[in-house]
Order: sequence, then C-alpha cells, then structure tokens
Amino acid sequence: MSTSYTHRPGALREPVLNYRNITKRYGQFQALHGISLDVFKGEVVCLIGPSGSGKSTVLRCTNALEAINSGEILVNGITLPKDDRSIRKVRQRMGMVFQNFELFPHKNTLQNVAIALTTVLGMNVADANAHAARMLEKVGLSDKMENYPANLSGGQQQRVAIARALAMQPEVMLFDEPTSALDPETIGEVLSVMKTLAEEGMTMVVVTHEMTFARKVADWVIVFDQGTIIEQGPSAQIFDNPTVERTRTFLNHLGWSG
Amino acid sequence: MNYDWSVVWQYRQMLLDGIGITILLTVLTMLVAVPGGILLALMRLSSMPWLARGSTAFVELFRNLPLILVVYWAFYVMPMVSDIELSAFNTGLLALCLNVSAYNSETFRAGIQSIRKGQAEAAVALGFSNTQAMFKIILPQAWRRVLPVLASTWVALFKDTSLVSVIAVGELAHASMTIRSQTFRVLEMLTAMAVIYWMLGYPQAKLVDWIREKYKVNE
Repeated sequence: MSTSYTHRPGALREPVLNYRNITKRYGQFQALHGISLDVFKGEVVCLIGPSGSGKSTVLRCTNALEAINSGEILVNGITLPKDDRSIRKVRQRMGMVFQNFELFPHKNTLQNVAIALTTVLGMNVADANAHAARMLEKVGLSDKMENYPANLSGGQQQRVAIARALAMQPEVMLFDEPTSALDPETIGEVLSVMKTLAEEGMTMVVVTHEMTFARKVADWVIVFDQGTIIEQGPSAQIFDNPTVERTRTFLNHLGWSG
Repeated sequence: MNYDWSVVWQYRQMLLDGIGITILLTVLTMLVAVPGGILLALMRLSSMPWLARGSTAFVELFRNLPLILVVYWAFYVMPMVSDIELSAFNTGLLALCLNVSAYNSETFRAGIQSIRKGQAEAAVALGFSNTQAMFKIILPQAWRRVLPVLASTWVALFKDTSLVSVIAVGELAHASMTIRSQTFRVLEMLTAMAVIYWMLGYPQAKLVDWIREKYKVNE
C-alpha cells in the first residue's frame, strides 16, 4: 500500500482525522482489515471502490455510529472517546450527510435545519431559525422553508440535509454516497453545492460513485477493495494513471475512460 | 307481551350518571395508559436488561389475563394479600389501566420500531443524545403512526368498561342492570342499554376512521 505523501499538498497542514490500523467486524464478516489513512485540514478526500468494500463503514466509524474493534481514530489529534457524553461533543463538530437524506418527515425544511441548534446547542428558536434560514439560502432553498420533506425532490431534500449539517458549523463534513439515491437530473445540484463547499475550504470526506466529481474536486482519492486500501493518491494519478491493476479494473467497470 | 318503555325515562338520571361514569372511566384509563404504555415500551426497548425484562413480564401478564379476572382479583384478592383497599371505582380503574397499558405498550413498541434506523442515526450524528433523539425525532413520528390503533383501543375500552360492573361500579352497564332488577323490565333495559352504547360508540368508531384517513403516513 502506498502512503507516499510527496504529491499531497494538504499534508503540510494539520491533520483533522487520522485512522490508525482500524478493524471492524460484523459477526463473521470482516468489514475493515486494518485501515490507516489521514485527512488534512481543507482537503476533499474521496473514498471510492466497489460496493461492500468498506468505504461507508470507515465513514460511520468516524462519528462512532459504528464502533471499531481495534485500532484508533484521532480527531484533531485526540483519540475518539468512548463515553457517550464526549462522543456527542465530537459529533457536533462533524456534519454527516446520508445516502437516504434522513430528513425528519414531521418537521418542515426550516425546522429540520434548526432543530439541532435548539436541541443540541440550546439556541433560542428565533436565533436558530435565522441561522437555519441563512443555511438554506446557502444551498439555494430559501423559497422552500415551509415545505415538508415529502414535498421536495430528492435533490432538494439532500440540499436541506447538507444545510442541516452545515448549521452546526462542523470542522469536517462526512458524505455517505450523497447522490446514490437521486434521480440523474438532480445529482448535479447536489454536487454543485458540495463543490462550492470544497472551494470554501471545508474539510470533506466523501464516499462516492461519482467519478467525475472525484476526479475534479478531490485532492486525494483512496481506493477500497474488500476492506483494505489498495491505492491512494492525488485524483489525477488515481484516475489518469492508476498503479494498481484492481483500481484500473474497477474504473473500467464504471466506464471511466479518463 | 306488553312493553313499558317508560322505565327508561323514569330512571334517566341513573342512566345519565352511568354514562358519565363510563366516559370518566374511559378517559381516566387512557390518561394513565397512554403515558404508561409509552413508558413500558421505552423500558422494553432500553438497553438495561432488568428494565426490559420487568416490562416484558408486566405486558405479557396483563395482556394474557382476562380483564374480568383482573377486576375480580383487584377487588377480592388484593385487599387480602396487601393493605391496599380501594373503592370499587378505583379498583375498576386500576384493572383497566393495567390491561390497557399492556396493550398500548405493544402498540407504541411496534410504532417506535417501525421508524427506520437512519432517523435516529441522523439525530445522533447531529449531537442529539439518545433520549433527545427518542423524544424529538422517533416518538413524534411513531405517535402519528399508532394514532389510529390507539383510537381503536379507545373504542374497545369504552365498551370494556362494562366489565367493571361486576364489582358494582355504577357505570352504564351496572346502572342498566340495577334498573332491570328493580323493575323486572329485562327486555326494555337491555335494549335501552344496547341503544345507548351503540349511539355513543358509533360516532367514536367513525372518528377513528377519520383519524386514520387524516394521519395517513406521508413520507
């Protein structure tokens, strides 16, 4: 496994996430075999690879939605805590976007974005709503504040989910296949919001099958297969000049031709 | 055979009191058994094994005993084996609460479990505690889903309150039976009782249908 960072500009900055030899088992199934990787401040890191290769598991372990079996995850240099109260503090600083949006169907758009501000941060409703409205403006949904999720398109729902995560002013955003459940015509609007975020310097870890996005936006691409990292490098290298045969096979299967 | 329907009018005050007590029993039982059902469901789903086991034991006991037996037991046996001695009304209320709480618990448990796991994960990922996720995200959605079931339970309970007549709580069934035994007007009183129960119950059943329609899950 190559972990040469010579071409990684981000490596000069401070690390936000370090994964050190993490393993994860589901019963008999070994989902992760000792994964080590780093995410530096301001980087967009894309995790790619076939389904079931462990990309999403890495993401879900990052904010302790899943517990790792061994190894260590460091957030800003500090080991991910085990006790509930401390984990909650860490989660507040990480935004997570899910494949199925997971908006709260009993809350309208504005409430979806504001509810964590009042519940978790203890903000008063007026301030929370004002802040939530700014976040919705950022993702281009100012006109949908009163709508309920059921009355939004998939792309709109996912943009609300991004606004909901951003409202907590996270240090890092975790995207778990954010466009996989979307109609082709709404994928673009979500990717463009993500691209804007990247340009603003947000640290992002993105599990994706959108190779064009990964090629254009990622600073660093990590290729997973069967619970291991088979290759990582700058996006140009991975997509234009992969060194590992299995990476080439995977990209060919997706119809990627550079 | 000659009918004398005048007894219904003659004893109207007693019947009205009976209706009042029937409604009161239904309302009070639900006021206890809805929070009680939620509490039992949360206990059963909790990660603390002794809480879960306690709740399971309670639910499986009272769901599988005939209500009339619980009524009798609370009335005759409870004062014998403990110092607790309640009025007939309170005894009847207690028996109904035990029974309906057990049923509601299963209703809420099913409702909570029907909300997909991602909802709790989304809340927790935002920094919610498990309790906050339960009360702000899961329960409000589960509540909407189980409302029609709760409404059906309400209608069933309204009729089942008649069972506490066996310990002389003066609700509608007991009032009717008392009038019957005082006047020997069996046909008139049983018919009047049926008409009254039906006239009160039917609008409630219609209300249930309306609630079912109005709160249809829309996701």
